[in-house]
This record gives sequence, structure tokens and C-alpha cells, in this order.
Amino acid sequence: MKLLKWFSFRGKGDKSIARKQQFIAQKISRRYCFSAVSFFALQSVVALLGSLDLVIPDLPSPIPFEFGRAIHLGLADLWPLIGTMGMVFFFTTAELNREIYSPRLARWQYWIVMLFSVSIFGTLALRIGNGREFLEGMPIFYVGICLALALASYNLIRTLLTDKRNITPASATMTVGIIFLFLLLLPNTITYRNPITDEVTKFWVVHLWEEMAFELTSAGFIATFYVVSGLAPRAQVEKWLYLEASMAVVGGFYGTGHHYYWIGFPAVWLAVGSLVSVVEVIPVGMLAIMTYKGLKSVKVRSNREKLTLWLLLSSVFYHLTGASLLGLFITIPWVNLYMHGTYVTSGHAHLALFGSLGFVVLAGCYYILSRGSEPTLKGYKRGVLAVCLLNGGLITMASALLVAGFMETYFWRILGMDFMEVRLLINPYLIMRVLGGAMFTLGNLLLSWRIFKAWQTTKYKK
Amino acid sequence: MKLRTFLILSILSFGLFVGVTLISARLPFPMTEQALAGKLVWQRHNCVSCHTLFGNGGYVGDDLTHVATKETPAYLINYLVQPPVMRPNKLAHHPALNEMDAVNLVHYLEFVQTIPTLGWPPQREKAEKDS
Repeated sequence: MKLLKWFSFRGKGDKSIARKQQFIAQKISRRYCFSAVSFFALQSVVALLGSLDLVIPDLPSPIPFEFGRAIHLGLADLWPLIGTMGMVFFFTTAELNREIYSPRLARWQYWIVMLFSVSIFGTLALRIGNGREFLEGMPIFYVGICLALALASYNLIRTLLTDKRNITPASATMTVGIIFLFLLLLPNTITYRNPITDEVTKFWVVHLWEEMAFELTSAGFIATFYVVSGLAPRAQVEKWLYLEASMAVVGGFYGTGHHYYWIGFPAVWLAVGSLVSVVEVIPVGMLAIMTYKGLKSVKVRSNREKLTLWLLLSSVFYHLTGASLLGLFITIPWVNLYMHGTYVTSGHAHLALFGSLGFVVLAGCYYILSRGSEPTLKGYKRGVLAVCLLNGGLITMASALLVAGFMETYFWRILGMDFMEVRLLINPYLIMRVLGGAMFTLGNLLLSWRIFKAWQTTKYKK
Repeated sequence: MKLRTFLILSILSFGLFVGVTLISARLPFPMTEQALAGKLVWQRHNCVSCHTLFGNGGYVGDDLTHVATKETPAYLINYLVQPPVMRPNKLAHHPALNEMDAVNLVHYLEFVQTIPTLGWPPQREKAEKDS
């Protein structure tokens, strides 16, 4: 009862505080972040229904599983993209302390990315798609997303070039991240005859977006946040940022080799993929050390910054565990030979995609949308509860999937049992995944509500 | 490290990576028109949501990379045209295809199994012996 009282839902969650001068780009970034958080809330609900479909036989559904899963994966890609676009505009102007080159283009870009994202989800709901995992929408819609990314790249490059002598490492890193998001999506707007090329270009989004381009945009955001909140001195952050970013780029590109093992590529990629994947871990280690040092020496006082930090710390945790350690383990070719194509990959994907990237984008979106407010103690506690539920749900989901995957590895891959027999054996763990998913969804809706309330408190009055 | 170094390293990494990837992605045999039509059937019906090829895709159904070595084309076509109930469901059937789509899809699956996968999946040899 005491716990419930502690997290009581009555009372005001945020109070308005005096806001510093804001750039137009920062105002525009709010709509990106708001849309990203809304899509994130929708994603959990869609994913939860999909996971239920797997464990309740003959569950009636207006959208068949194969297209429901496609919507889930599409959302998983696009909500962090939309949030990142907002974050990059916001933190670039904050870093450079001036307006972006064209706020008008940023507004156009928002409507373009929203139009094509909604078109992807809408057509998939109508069972129209292109059947490429994570990129299931029709290719024309990805042309639209590319157009939005091209506009963002142009706008950011022109912003940096306006005053070449004052380009900060964080703003440059974020700009390069956005350019890579564009360049890596571009080949996915074409339909290939060759199924190997199809797989390859898909991984330029599935792997390289997450483990390289988004790493750069996140690094820029984290660097800015650490400087603003006093967790790290600017000089130290700027000293290491380009080195971290370079390792993320080289490690990210050639680490993609671990996705090339069994798709018809020469055996040399087994060595390239497994060895270079180690490089991918180094920037994560550097980030963890910097965070540890900052937390040891500085006490963050603002509840708003503390809640942002909780979200960021969650990301650092999954960066280290689910993405790096588990990821590195399953890239060992002898391990991957047996575990690839089982639920182990799915467990890793949830930890790496949402755990590492999702939490960073949520942190950024919350920070942006709550600017000009400060959560009351109650509001802060509700936020912390939501973060706990998200973490509890994610760990439960991923653990269940990993156990199911280990069972598949042993019974199916090693002992050679029939696939369907093994599928029935792992059913209890798929049910456990649903329970984890329900907890995650609850945390998601709670956090989204928290962010919505902060947005409402800080909304501009016309 | 300076911005210029970071940019040069990024551009060189990107160029080299794209080059070596495209060289590595060559097919061992040219793809027939029927197999290509089958690939589009695979994509149109979003088969990847439930099945994997090369281990990539959904985990609800079996991996189909080497299904053409385990089952005869006639069996596969019949399965796709008159699909059975999918366990553990009692009513829901596997999605059905028309005969032409089914034939094309089987051609595609026959083509996919010719792509060398460096010994993956590990139970392939056992399956081949059984068949």
C-alpha cells in the first residue's frame, strides 16, 4: 500500500518553469519527438497483440500475423528515426547556439516523413507490402523517407557550413549520422533480382542504422546532455568524441560481416565479421567509463535531468549487456552456426534495438518535450516507475526469448528434433514473453502519458 | 582527432565497404525468370514474417533455405495450393496460393538452396541423408 501511495497518480506531475530563449528548430523538434513517442506507444500494443497471437491458437484478428509483425518491425525502425530527426535539430541548435539553415525545410521534412511512415503502416494493415524484413512497406514509401533524410542532411550541412569555424564535434557527429541514415536507406528503395543483394542491403538498415548511424546521432545527443548536466566537462567530451565516432563507423561497417556469414558470402567474412565486431564494443566501453566517472563526481539535482538520466542509464546497460556482450558471443562463428535463426537472435534484437537505441531516443524526446517544466516529486516517481516497468518487461521478454532460443539450439540444431515438436516445447517461454510484453506495454503507456503531460505543460500558447 | 580525419575515415570506410560487399554478393548461378517470379510471390505474401531464409526472418515457421532438398516439388506445390491446418491451431490454415504462384515460389526455393551457405544450417546433412 505504501508503494502505491508513493506512486500515487493524483496530483500534478509537472510544473512550468521559466524557459530560456528557444530557436525555431527547437520548437519544430517537439513535433518530431511527440510523433515518435506516439508511434512508440502504438508499437508496444501491436507487438503485444502479435505475441498473443502466437500462444492463443486460432485467435481472430483483422490483420493477419504476417502483416501485424511487419507493422511492429516498421514501427521499431521508424519511431526512433522520427525521434532522432527531432533530437538532431534540437541539439544541433543547442550546440551551435544558432538557428538551423532552414526551419521551413525542417517543417516540410516532418510532414514528408509522417506521410510516408503512416502510408507504410496503413498499406501493411491492408495486406499490401514488399516482404523484406524490417522494410516490409512498398519501396516507393522508402523513397519518401529517403527524401526526408536528404532534406535533413542538406539542412544540417548548410547549417554547419554557415559558420565553419564553430563546428562542434557533437553537431558534426550528428550530421554525419543523419547522412549515413540517408545513404544506407537509399539502396533499399530498389527491388533486386539477386536474393543475396536483397539480404545485404536489408542489413545496411537493420545493422548499420542501429549500430553505426544511430550510434553517431546518439553520441552527439549524449555528449551534449553530459555537458549540459555537468556529468562531463566539454573539453573531455570533445577530446574523445571523434575517436569514438570513428570507431563506431569502422566497427559498424565491417562488423556487418557477422550478418553475412550464411547468406552466400565467401568464408573470409567469418573472420572479418567476428574480429571487427570487437571494435564495435570499444566505443560502448568508453561511454560506460565516462558515465561512471560522471556519476561518481557529479550529483544531478534536477528531476527532469534525473529522469532523462534513468532512461540513458538503461540504454548504457543494454548497450553493454544485450548489444555488446551477448552480441559478441553470438557473432563467434561456431556459436552462430547453431544459434543463428533461432529465438536467440530475437532476444538479442529486442535488447539491442529497443534496449540500446530506444531508451536513448526516449531520453532525448523526454528531455526536449519537457523543456520549460520540472516534474514534481510525484511526477518524477511516476516516470521512474514507468522506466522500471519498461526495464522489467524488456528483461523478462528477452530472457524468455533467449531460453526459447537456447532450447531450439539444443533440440533442433544439435539433436536434430523436428521443428514443430521443438516449437511446442518452447511454448511456455513464449507465454512468458507475452507477460513480459504486457509489463513493457504498461511501462510504455505510463511513460508516454508522462511525456504527454510534460508536453502539455510546456505547450506554446498561440 | 580532427573533423577532417573523421570525415576522410568515414568516406573511405563507406566506399571500401560498399565495394567489397557488392563483389561478395555475386550469385553462383543466374536466376531464372520463374525463380524471380517466385521471389516476388515470397515478398508479396510476406512469407518472411513467419519463415526464415538463410536464418533471417520470423521464427514461427520452419527455415526454408533447404526445404527443396527435403521435400519434392509436387509435395510443396500441393502444400501451398491446399494448405493444411497449422499446429497448434485447430482451425487456421497456412495461407493458400494459386497454382501458378505456388509453382513459381517452389522454383525460387529450389534456386535458393543452390546458394552456398558455408554449412549452415548444421542439421542439413542429416536432413539430406534422411531424404
